[in-house]
Amino acid sequence: MKGLLKVFLGVLTAIGGFVDIGDLVANAVVGARFGLSLAWVLVAGVVGICLFADMSGRVAAVTGRGTFDLVRERLGPRAGLANLVASTFVTFLTLAAEIGGVALAFELATSVSYLLFVPLVAFLVWFVIWRMPFEKMEQAFGLAGLCLLAFAVALWQLGPDWGELFRQASHPSVPDGEGHPTYWFYAISLFGAAMTPYEVFFFSSGAVEEGWTRKDLKTERLNVYVGFPLGGVLSLAIAATSALVLLPQGIEVDHLDQVALPTVLALGKIGLAVLIVGFVAATFGAALETALSTGYSLAQYLGWQWGKRTAPKDAARFHAVVLVAVVLGAMLVLTTLDPVKVTEYSLVFSAIALPLTYFPILVVANDPEYMAESANGRVVNALATGYLVLLTVVALAAIPLMIATKAGQ
Amino acid sequence: MTGRVRDLALHLLDRQVVDTEGKAVGNVDDVELVVPEDGSPPYVVAILTGPQALARRLGGLLGQWLGFWSHALSRPDSSEPGRIPMELVTDIDTQITVARTRQELGVHRNEDRARQYLILRIPGARHARQ
Amino acid sequence: MRGSDLLGAPVVSRSGAALGRVLDVRLVQDGPLLGAFAAMRVEGLVVGHRRTSARLGYDRVEAHGPWLVATVVRWLARDNRYLPWEQASLEGHRVVSGLDELLRVPFIT
Repeated sequence: MKGLLKVFLGVLTAIGGFVDIGDLVANAVVGARFGLSLAWVLVAGVVGICLFADMSGRVAAVTGRGTFDLVRERLGPRAGLANLVASTFVTFLTLAAEIGGVALAFELATSVSYLLFVPLVAFLVWFVIWRMPFEKMEQAFGLAGLCLLAFAVALWQLGPDWGELFRQASHPSVPDGEGHPTYWFYAISLFGAAMTPYEVFFFSSGAVEEGWTRKDLKTERLNVYVGFPLGGVLSLAIAATSALVLLPQGIEVDHLDQVALPTVLALGKIGLAVLIVGFVAATFGAALETALSTGYSLAQYLGWQWGKRTAPKDAARFHAVVLVAVVLGAMLVLTTLDPVKVTEYSLVFSAIALPLTYFPILVVANDPEYMAESANGRVVNALATGYLVLLTVVALAAIPLMIATKAGQ
Repeated sequence: MTGRVRDLALHLLDRQVVDTEGKAVGNVDDVELVVPEDGSPPYVVAILTGPQALARRLGGLLGQWLGFWSHALSRPDSSEPGRIPMELVTDIDTQITVARTRQELGVHRNEDRARQYLILRIPGARHARQ
Repeated sequence: MRGSDLLGAPVVSRSGAALGRVLDVRLVQDGPLLGAFAAMRVEGLVVGHRRTSARLGYDRVEAHGPWLVATVVRWLARDNRYLPWEQASLEGHRVVSGLDELLRVPFIT
């Protein structure tokens, strides 16, 4: 049991990356429009994030350095700054969306407009970061986020033709009525969401917060290989339930209640109650992850003291940045900007920050000066190089596709 | 005697500086070299840290902009970057360790300000929660 | 003088031909004693045209890293050369080289 409690850094990181408010809706949209024909993208995304999160976690455990530290060191101040601006932009927009997302989950539970919850949610996010110990935080929100497994239970209850689902997933084709550009736009969005940079910022910095050393490399690997595949399974379950229920009925998804609809159908009110807990935990967890990541990356780029392991007075600028980010995020949501739309767009920008984040990780994970005998092996290097090429292609294709398809409409 | 060989950009610049307690002091944003009168080669006498030092490295409009703001914000104090003499450096590895605490180094004007005007005014700022 | 005064400075030969820019500064720790350690003294300059090529140091340290990345970066760094400090002189913000042909970049072992 104690060993199991140690994997929640990975679980929380993955929940924030795979099933935050934008992805909850995006996965359901994809299921409702494309069935399981994009499932292969999720698999590719899980493999990719496992590779690079493992490297970033390993570097953090061996050297005690967070990922953005390395970004600045290997790319220099200018390219490092370009990455800082791009990824902070994505992370901040996601933070704003998650604050809205938690509020939307409250709206789903109470039928009171989500805007009324925004200030409360923002305060709670900040308060948890200010006061709650890091490990308690990841365990509480990671564990509660597991309520989203209700999607998997619902899928099983719906009693699908598993052979047919597998055939759809393993023989991807663009469904009638959908264009190729739209298909590829969603492919890139899903891939970008799975590998979104704040996951490695959070995971590596979290490893430092927990004081992992070379001795914890087993725990590190366990976190990666439990957390991220779990995130992938949740995403798949959401897509599959909506492919089974919403696709045949032609229901379009643009709100959280449609995401929940198949589960409510299969599991009734209890299903909905469990899902709402899961929604709140996942979006709140993602808000924590993005708020902290904003602080982590800026502080590491500028060489400030960061993190929750010291008293806030000893990491004053870090806490100031987190506070400002949460306040600005709440203000952005209060302009009634649709949180779901916000993440749809920010996902594509994250594709641009991807190569600039993963390249330095790969370089340092190979550097004997930092890693000694824990450097990358050949197989990991070959795979990671392949992903780096893929990420660059994705980054180049992202913006033209977004413009051509008007963000998948 | 031949000493250890390092390349400035590769092995020194942009690395993290930590104090005796392992707390972050800043990055190596630049270094200061002296050029001896007798024509012998220049050598590194200090590590420079802080936005004023970083501004020069960034160069261009961005560097000017950062330089302007860090200058404006650092008044009425000096607008020179934080300077850590090499005499205080005890280890140069993937991070650089110095034999003083952050307070003693006094290179942290902005951190001090953030602490004084914002963070210490919020209840609970003095305690770490483990 | 700051490190940033040297890094990026244009390097020219005595006849005024452009040889590139300073990409890195080789330091050797055998200068005057500063505290417990010898000071890091400038030994020479890595000179080249592509700033990104020098950043990872694959042109100067033992091979490490994914084959493809190392190969590409080495290729970008193929024209990088070395100017020993005793052959260099500072004139304004330019470095004038006493050598018309620069040397190969020595590896750090």
